[in-house]
Amino acid sequence: MSYQITNILTAIDQVAQDNLDDCYQDEQGSHTYQDLYQQTNCLAAYLQSLALPQEAPVIVYGDQSFLMVVTMLAAVKAGHAYIPVDAHSPKERLIQINEIAHPAAILGTLELPVQLDTLTVTPDQIQAHLNYQATPLDRTQSVAGDQNFYIIFTSGTTGVPKGVQISHNNLLSYVNWTVNDFNLHAKIRCLSQPPYSFDLSVMDLYPTLVLGGKLLAISHATTENFGQLFKVLPTLDLEEWVSTPSFAELCLLDKNFKQENYPHLHHFLFCGEELTRSTAKALLQRFPQAQVFNTYGPTEACVAVTAIEITPQVIEQNQRLPIGFAKPDTTITAVDDAGNDSFEGELIISGPSVSKGYLNNPEKTAAAFFTKEGQRAYRSGDLGAIKADGSIYYRGRTDFQIKLHGYRIELEDIDQNLSALPMIDQAITVPRYGANHKVNQIIAFVVLNQELENPSTTIKEQLAQNVMEYMIPQRIEVRQQLPKTANGKIDRKTLMAEVNNHD
Amino acid sequence: MDVKATVLDILADLTGSDEVKENLDESLFDSGLLDSMATVQLLLELQQQLGIDVPVSEFDRQEWETPNKIIAKVESLENE
Repeated sequence: MSYQITNILTAIDQVAQDNLDDCYQDEQGSHTYQDLYQQTNCLAAYLQSLALPQEAPVIVYGDQSFLMVVTMLAAVKAGHAYIPVDAHSPKERLIQINEIAHPAAILGTLELPVQLDTLTVTPDQIQAHLNYQATPLDRTQSVAGDQNFYIIFTSGTTGVPKGVQISHNNLLSYVNWTVNDFNLHAKIRCLSQPPYSFDLSVMDLYPTLVLGGKLLAISHATTENFGQLFKVLPTLDLEEWVSTPSFAELCLLDKNFKQENYPHLHHFLFCGEELTRSTAKALLQRFPQAQVFNTYGPTEACVAVTAIEITPQVIEQNQRLPIGFAKPDTTITAVDDAGNDSFEGELIISGPSVSKGYLNNPEKTAAAFFTKEGQRAYRSGDLGAIKADGSIYYRGRTDFQIKLHGYRIELEDIDQNLSALPMIDQAITVPRYGANHKVNQIIAFVVLNQELENPSTTIKEQLAQNVMEYMIPQRIEVRQQLPKTANGKIDRKTLMAEVNNHD
Repeated sequence: MDVKATVLDILADLTGSDEVKENLDESLFDSGLLDSMATVQLLLELQQQLGIDVPVSEFDRQEWETPNKIIAKVESLENE
């Protein structure tokens, strides 16, 4: 079957209206499409009744739950892009995003950790308006076309996060590609594990809803508790798996993670970081009936823009797996240091899924985005090689952005946040690479301005108040001084060589 | 190489602190030395360096809390 969706919200409504099939399962139980349809319409009508400034975004705060999805969709139906903020973020992040985005409101599906000046809709108010009937929903106001659908914040080099604006048309391009090119079937049962503040979650959320499938959510607490995780996973009867390769590597530690115990699991979709040969190989051995897809894409180009099925043959032929071929409506070229098109260099992505830029940040937007042959284009900062057949291979970064367990981190972001702590004079972070080119640790080198009894613990605790958990260095090394480059900057490369000479 | 030395080397490497070699009864989780990602890394290293498959489905943080508990766990798994 071939899908040609023209509007995401309409497509979901067509599936959802009067449909008693389950669409979502969380710790509260299962929820039907009819519930999704009713509750998003009612809550959207209620949000419209608040007469928020038109087109202003709203923050949606919560975790892996049906209510979070209902609230995000209600926001776009009402005419407001949503900014997902995961409840496991430090409260400083919510404060920061609120300052940058100037949202019209914060919709808390869970209690907020801090009181903010912005209009706040509480969990009780959201619950109370899931049946709101007082005023009708005006669908002409719903998000469409080039209007923002969601805004996801990522790490920024200055220590301040950047909000990537994804329009309805960006998302539409992504969803049409995914539902057509990955052999996914109608009513598919898909894992929903990555938090909604991470754009990998879009890979499970929208394609599954459009296909009338069921999302099976795993909470943060379950993901963290291995015993619980491996008890729950086999009960979900999954057909499709979306995660970072790191999460699959964790699952492969469980010897029961194999086809026999997951008889209908036939699709693995990976994004967010490098899929290594050994992980792909192990998966195909455990799940001989499954198709494993490797994909690649920055948040700025909406989830993913390349894909390839990793077959035993692909594994055989490559020491480092390809990230695949550009999706049909997208062009990817590589440019060399001189800015000329080349077979190897920085990957430039252009096409309908490329974002209009960073929210309220014209400077960073101008630096990364431009127009190329009438299409929106993005300088990815990723280095790649493009083969004659169009297949693309990832080679690394042009800057100090890293991926740790799928999370995108600017090392300068951590440096800035460390340096801002009162006991620290200087700080710099370096990645340590394990086998297969993957970062497995962030190490911080710091110069202190005072004696500390437990420097590592103290610094980690204080840093955790300002940055996401995944940005906290695993190791903190106190030094009397840090190496400098010829022009007086802290020499990250020398320290990188120092921590990576172990093999 | 004996199990104890290998485990302590892995822990020192993961936490970046030689403290783990001195205070063998200190909780690695309470002190923030070991987060959940580092725990996964620990299990992967045990598999690669010692050939030990930890039954993660039965993984209980309490039983892996301190260097001494980890060493005892690994030794018992090695003898299985």
